[in-house]
Amino acid sequence: MKMNPQTQSNQLDRELKSTARRLFVFTGTWVASTALLTFGPRMWWEYDVLTTVLVIALNLLAGAMMLFAFFRHLKSMDELQRQTHLEAMALTLGITMIFTVVYGSLPTVQLLEDAHPTNILFVMGITYILAVARIWMNRTSE
Amino acid sequence: MKNRLKVLRAEHDWTQADLAGRLDVTRQTVNAIEKGKYDPSLPLAFKIAGVFQMPIEQIFLPKDGA
Repeated sequence: MKMNPQTQSNQLDRELKSTARRLFVFTGTWVASTALLTFGPRMWWEYDVLTTVLVIALNLLAGAMMLFAFFRHLKSMDELQRQTHLEAMALTLGITMIFTVVYGSLPTVQLLEDAHPTNILFVMGITYILAVARIWMNRTSE
Repeated sequence: MKNRLKVLRAEHDWTQADLAGRLDVTRQTVNAIEKGKYDPSLPLAFKIAGVFQMPIEQIFLPKDGA
């Protein structure tokens, strides 16, 4: 049966929203389990090894689920959206690599006391968001 | 790559959203193809040819006109 164009468009939209919701939920779970792993041992279970190992396992599982949700989201996009995200990822990988090398060498050259790996995540996140916005606007500006 | 998408769409009296719905892509994708800012994949190009019931080479042309 042939669907009318509006229905097809709505279906694409619905699918995208559904995979985005799933990605949001699993990203939230991963962030929460990361926070639990970071603060839990000191604040709640006094560095009990078994509990920490269980929380690490939970964190890895949540991370894997987030990754699967991301790939599902990517697959639900249309080809221009997907290409935009893939190009943004390539740009993010390059910029993060360059930043990581410089940032990692700062304590060695005594310009910084400590390098925190979490700061690299911020650079990755911000670069990715800006890259997606820039590439998308470039291609779709009226 | 150049294309005649805008002309063909106008001939059918379709909006970008109408064509996007028929191709199962977003309206922005149709707009980007029409403006020459994005070259569609081969499967999408064939889908476009199918929607307009025309050979693919009558819709998409090389930039240098060869």
